[in-house]
Amino acid sequence: MNPDFCYETAKLGQVLCSGVCAVTADEVQRFRSLLGYPSTGDIRLASSSMGLTYGLRLGWEHAIFPPGVVRMGDDDVFGVPARVGDRLTTTFSIVEKFEKKGRRFLRYEMRTLNQDGELVCAISFVGLMP
Amino acid sequence: MNDAPEAVLPSCQIHITQDLIDEYARLSGDFNPVHVDPQAAASSSFGTTIAHGCIALEPVFQSLLRWSGLPNLPPQARFRLRYRAPSRPGDTIRSQVQVRSSSQGQVQLSFACLNQLDQLVIDGDCDFPL
Repeated sequence: MNPDFCYETAKLGQVLCSGVCAVTADEVQRFRSLLGYPSTGDIRLASSSMGLTYGLRLGWEHAIFPPGVVRMGDDDVFGVPARVGDRLTTTFSIVEKFEKKGRRFLRYEMRTLNQDGELVCAISFVGLMP
Repeated sequence: MNDAPEAVLPSCQIHITQDLIDEYARLSGDFNPVHVDPQAAASSSFGTTIAHGCIALEPVFQSLLRWSGLPNLPPQARFRLRYRAPSRPGDTIRSQVQVRSSSQGQVQLSFACLNQLDQLVIDGDCDFPL
């Protein structure tokens, strides 16, 4: 946990946390159903947009989002699809730190690789620090 | 994939409810009170709960998939986007996606997500490899 994590303590390039999760059929199904994907097709394929979620649990568990932080924008790259049974490793880091008009921002990156080391997604987002 | 990309992609939409937000929180692990705790959200600057930004972005993914006929985004697809306004329970968010140019095996698109009042919620652009 990083109870003292904030703009001042954030270091560029620092790996904040890393974790492994398994892609389960239940989660893939629930995600597809929740967001209105057709029930036809390859139901073992995690939708690309699910990639936006892989690191979030990790980030909250490690308290790297200061209370009141606001997500301003993303720069997201998608790689190979994730499938049921994959084991995904997500690494969270700070890739940019800047101030603009008196406000302070951190750019987080959640980089997710599959068990073969292939990029599944690199989700990068700017948070306006409280 | 269409040989000649259309200028305007099919529009998709999602209706936001608190149940949807709560289930998205369970799937993503993002239990930020501003999403899932109506009491806490009432005293925030938003005044109500708001949806995770990724939920409002979902129609863009689905427009791209419907247009391309692919089950998922192709490797190296890239989104750059800004969150312009929050989405709340009761809102219906729809996508507007347009082809801007096509060159060297890649289509460049711009997109916007609008609510039922035609207010801009998200905008951005996408590189979509062919």
